[in-house]
Amino acid sequence: MTFNDRIFGVLMIVLAVAYGWAATQFPEPFGGAESVGPDTFPKLLAVVLALSSLYLIVRPDPDNAWPWNRTGIELIIAVVVLLLYALLLQPLGFIISTTLAVGTLCWRMGAPPMNAYITGAVSGVVVYFLFSFALDLALPLGLLSFLEMN
Amino acid sequence: METLGYLMDGFGVALAPHNLMFALLGAFLGTLIGALPGLGPANGVAILIPLAFSLGLAPETALIMLTSVYAGAMYGGRISSILLNIPGDEPAMMTCLDGYPMAQKGKASEALAISAVASFVGSLIATIGLILLAPLLANFALTFGPAEYFALFLLAFATLGGITGKNPIKTVVAACIGLMIATVGIDNTGVPRYTFGVLELFEGVDFIIAIVGLFAISELLFFIEERAGGGKEKMKVNKLSLSWKDIREILPTSFRGGVLGFVAGVLPGAGASLGSFISYTLEKRVLGKKGYFGQGDPRGVAAPEAGNNAASSGALVPMLTLGVPGSGTTAVLLALLISLNITPGPLMFTQNADIVWGVIAALLIGNFLLLVLNIPLVGIFVKLLSVPPMYLLPIVTMVAFVGIYSISNTIFDLYFMVAFGVGGYVLRKLEIPLVPVILGLLLGPEMEKNLRHAMDISDGDWMILWDSGLAIGLWVFAGLGLILPYVVGPILRRRMRTPIEKGMPESD
Repeated sequence: MTFNDRIFGVLMIVLAVAYGWAATQFPEPFGGAESVGPDTFPKLLAVVLALSSLYLIVRPDPDNAWPWNRTGIELIIAVVVLLLYALLLQPLGFIISTTLAVGTLCWRMGAPPMNAYITGAVSGVVVYFLFSFALDLALPLGLLSFLEMN
Repeated sequence: METLGYLMDGFGVALAPHNLMFALLGAFLGTLIGALPGLGPANGVAILIPLAFSLGLAPETALIMLTSVYAGAMYGGRISSILLNIPGDEPAMMTCLDGYPMAQKGKASEALAISAVASFVGSLIATIGLILLAPLLANFALTFGPAEYFALFLLAFATLGGITGKNPIKTVVAACIGLMIATVGIDNTGVPRYTFGVLELFEGVDFIIAIVGLFAISELLFFIEERAGGGKEKMKVNKLSLSWKDIREILPTSFRGGVLGFVAGVLPGAGASLGSFISYTLEKRVLGKKGYFGQGDPRGVAAPEAGNNAASSGALVPMLTLGVPGSGTTAVLLALLISLNITPGPLMFTQNADIVWGVIAALLIGNFLLLVLNIPLVGIFVKLLSVPPMYLLPIVTMVAFVGIYSISNTIFDLYFMVAFGVGGYVLRKLEIPLVPVILGLLLGPEMEKNLRHAMDISDGDWMILWDSGLAIGLWVFAGLGLILPYVVGPILRRRMRTPIEKGMPESD
């Protein structure tokens, strides 16, 4: 099967065309046109990308299998966990969000849940204290901010 | 003689107590990273860059630390090759061939010690080579004009896949993607490009975020897919009984391996994998029937280890003198230089002499530190091998998050990093190499600037790009870099792969 490279090649040609077209829409730089304007280099790239993508479509490599099964779901879970980690880092604070994120990732990767969340909590607390005391960098405390020493 | 004076100044920098401390820390962390399963050197250095930043380290200290990490990772890679028959990264592949049989025969600690000595000899030779060659190359590079630089960058991309690379067109596609991302933001005529009105994009895409995302996050996703599972069973390590005679026996081998490795490291397109491969095959030829390669010959451990360590120091030559890295890890080191506002290239040898020579001196010192660290502490590193990746990788990911967050304290950067991670996963699935993407991100602005200067000089005549003999030479080599993999690549690849099964992490 050689669908991957073909589809990717088509997508890249679309990208190259869109990218090259956008380059033609740049306003002329202040002080008039030059021999190499802001659009020259992007246009060059668009041409090279389009040509090499064309080659991919014509002579594709054999496919690697995509994980269309449980593993795929695990992957999506992992990405969602990472996004939630970023989202909750400030509101929940570093320690709590790390416990949840690292714990969930360890658990989903096959660790027993208890061990997983303990790993998360320990790593969160260690890194937090390492950062705030040894390295003097503030990480958000979030929900735990009542513990803050003033 | 001038060089010697600079080198002495360099030692002055590198031996300053705090620099020495960070070198030691770097060497330790590096060996750890190299030893841990699933963390290649490029990965490790990438994760540590944001931390070096947020610590507010002085440029020379940050560089010394990360160079030590780099050197250490090369040392560490051998541990899992020998004990588990799993190379930590691609260049460590050849070490498996004789290292693992040695360990099976109950000579694991001898194999580890021999490889440490060989790594030391290899790096030492290569560092001396670097000291001799780098200033010459830097002087030569001063004659480069913008057109030559433009061609040189092309050469760097073309040879990045190496002559053993699989599909050079995919390198081109990857490079284009990287260069395109690099054009996002306000260009130096003041025109915003591809920002879609998003304020965060006006300053362009921070390549550190991209690097950490592409390497660290995509590695996590790959591990999940391969069912990370528990730790590997630990090989028992016997008590070390190594005599001087054993060490003397591998010295000529290490020496040959070191020289070959250095040459492979300096040359564009060869790199550490080829360095260790050539050293191993040559050694097999030289010793012929006298050796018992493949069945645990100590010289079969020494040759590739000397070769790959020498190649990794050799790879610093083009990175430092021309600003053109030849491998993933040196690309990551280049990212550090650029973000420290140091322009790599020939001028660095005059403008930032203290930094360059400090780093070179640090390499020498780091080498001694690593040898000293590695022989007695090998037990600790061996224990770490049994840390199951299912605990390790989430923690590594968390460290990447903290590092990126601590640079700018914005959540936007974290989303961006995750996006790069997912993108990196997809690209790796398609066998599109990630290193050219990163190199494109790093070199994009410089490449465009040189193109612009060249055109300004010639008043818009494109012929200037191949107007000088030097530029033509570079173009020819770049062309060869793309064509040769089709011609000799399959043969070389087959010979390198036959003894070993596949499945290396992406990096070198």
